[in-house]
Amino acid sequence: MNVLQLKKLTKKYGEFAAVDQLTLAVQEGEIFGLLGANGAGKSTTINMIASLIPITKGEIELLGKNIAKNGKFAKSNIGIVPQELAIYEDMTAYENVRFFAGLYGLRGPELKRRAEEALAFTGLSDKHRSYPRDFSGGMKRRLNIACAIAHRPKLIIMDEPTVGIDPHSRNYILNSVRKLNEMGSTIIYTSHYMEEVEELCTRIAILDHGKVIAEGTKAQLKSIITDQKEIRIDVRSATGLDTRKLSEIAGVRTVTVNDEQNSVSISTDAEVNILNRIIQGLMAADIEIRSVEESQPSLETVFLTLTGRSLRDS
Amino acid sequence: MRDTIWLIQRTTLAMLRSYKSLLLYLLTPVIGIGLAFLIYSGQGDVSVRIGIVNQDGEQAVASDVVHFLDSIRNVEWSDVQEEEARELVLAGELDAAAILPSGFSAWVKGGKEEFPIELVALEGSMAASYIRSYLDPYIGNLMAIGRTAQSGGESFDAVYAKYKAAEFGLLTEDVADTSAQRDMANRAIGYLIIFMMFSAVNLSAFMIKEKENRTYFRVLASPVSAKAYVASNVTVNMLVLLVQMAIMLVVMIAGFGIKPGLPLWQLVAVLLIFAWVAVALSLVIVAFASNSMAASAMQNSLIITSCLLAGCMFPIDGMPQAMRTIADFLPQRWLLDTVSKLQQGAAAADLTMNVLTLLAFAAMFSMLAIYKFGRNRDARTYV
Ligand SMILES: Nc1ncnc2c1ncn2[C@@H]1O[C@H](COP(=O)(O)OP(=O)(O)O)[C@@H](O)[C@H]1O
Ligand SMILES: [Mg+2]
Repeated sequence: MNVLQLKKLTKKYGEFAAVDQLTLAVQEGEIFGLLGANGAGKSTTINMIASLIPITKGEIELLGKNIAKNGKFAKSNIGIVPQELAIYEDMTAYENVRFFAGLYGLRGPELKRRAEEALAFTGLSDKHRSYPRDFSGGMKRRLNIACAIAHRPKLIIMDEPTVGIDPHSRNYILNSVRKLNEMGSTIIYTSHYMEEVEELCTRIAILDHGKVIAEGTKAQLKSIITDQKEIRIDVRSATGLDTRKLSEIAGVRTVTVNDEQNSVSISTDAEVNILNRIIQGLMAADIEIRSVEESQPSLETVFLTLTGRSLRDS
Repeated sequence: MRDTIWLIQRTTLAMLRSYKSLLLYLLTPVIGIGLAFLIYSGQGDVSVRIGIVNQDGEQAVASDVVHFLDSIRNVEWSDVQEEEARELVLAGELDAAAILPSGFSAWVKGGKEEFPIELVALEGSMAASYIRSYLDPYIGNLMAIGRTAQSGGESFDAVYAKYKAAEFGLLTEDVADTSAQRDMANRAIGYLIIFMMFSAVNLSAFMIKEKENRTYFRVLASPVSAKAYVASNVTVNMLVLLVQMAIMLVVMIAGFGIKPGLPLWQLVAVLLIFAWVAVALSLVIVAFASNSMAASAMQNSLIITSCLLAGCMFPIDGMPQAMRTIADFLPQRWLLDTVSKLQQGAAAADLTMNVLTLLAFAAMFSMLAIYKFGRNRDARTYV
């Protein structure tokens, strides 16, 4: 069953289309990744799903119902983790979660239990009575999540929940996303971190300039790039390697040197076999080869190929 | 409704946790009364010196006027000649001089309109307005007696004698005793207006703060409607203003023993209408302010200026006409005017205009706020 269905969803600011005829379906039980560079239109899409900004054109269906006509129903079944923190500094962690969960109609012992669960879930059990002003950035982010899940929504949407936080909190968040999913929530996870999405998500849509430019499982996305293959060569020391020589070999598309890992990644046309010439080139430059491996393209390569730019650059 | 109550609890909690706002809401009304009390009890020592030029000396009515002036609190009077009156006023020896022309008594008996007592004073003199505020109703009564006598066939002297024997004696005493209290009450009400308006904006600005920390958008992403959200804020706002009113009235009447000079329920009723005006205006300010800095700037400039012009801090009787004209466009002026009319025992019918004007201010501000809120529903900064 489709939990969420976007049909030609469009948001225009004047003439500029921040989201452009977006059509997407998210199925029950998925961790759906929305991957895109800054300004791709991820937050705008989420704002429309949350009924926070008006839709210019198109439709959004949640659990088969049009949200424009079933606003209360839709809002009750969605939990939003906003990109920017949205918590009260003058209320304790517990009071924050309790207040927001109360907006969904929970009261009494049930409310208390759910609020405590949500705090435990985000690893803030021992911070019940603490005020967010005393929290680290990562703890605030976790509280930001706790406030969105206590009412146990069917669909949880997280907008870049790991931006700018310490590795400990980041791991905690990624694990809680998995656990939430196992407990039955469908998740939409937006990010511009490739590894996170690759590691976490069952299906991924790549968004660029407000449009979906590719959608599918990881394998499906990678198979888009059939005309290209990657060769990874580990060397003893990559310093001093002249990539120009390698690039000149017919059939080589890009050469990337990773100094830290002492490896060279070369993507080539799929149909040619030029491994010999590449190895000869390296030997001529006195580079000692440790191992050679032909690999599938990474999501990074997919993104690069589809959008013409790297996620990191944006 | 349930949602609104939930939101009201949150707003109340936030309010109770902020010392600064609590201080503003609860303590200032008390300070206001204290100030009014200090100002006016200090004024007991300052007296108004008036010179009386009595050109109608032998007549009973004229000498009663002199007695009446003498009976007013803080008035010291002396007999002066018409020629020297002006000079003495100019030199500051006298605050004002009252000239009772010869034939004054006869004129009063005739019951004709227009006021023949000339008051000589510097322009904008507070003393002159003070004297006039007593003299006008007094002469008005005399004229009324004159008219009654003319039409009823009874002689003026007979009615006048009854008047003096009965109400008049009581009335003057009453007027003299309560005048200072009324001044204090009016001043305290003036300060209350300022504090109510400030508190109202502070409370409405909660919504801007919630926009700035984005919790507002989280609320809007829940099934709670934006209307319920604003309603909860307005409710808390009204409640706080009610508490302020209650504190101020209790402290004023029970604490300082100041009588407002009008029935309590009337005072409460007009203050309630004004509370609505204040809350609605605060919503307008919030709707138009782009951030909390702007709201607080508007709060300071708008409220202080308008309260000053409307006479919340100082009586405006002595101000130039131009400023008094501006004051007519300010709701605070209409509230103060209503209160003072009620103190003078005005009938309900005479106040229709005042009450309608206040209600119109409230309705206008409310509609402006609703219109503006309806337009900026876009959650730009969210997510
Ligand atoms: N209120 C707005 N007015 C005009 N342009 C906007 C507004 N909000 C977002 N945009 C533009 O829409 C595009 C998409 O923004 P956003 O959805 O925030 O991207 P993302 O979340 O993927 O980084 C950006 O180019 C942004 O500048
Ligand atoms: Mg974003």
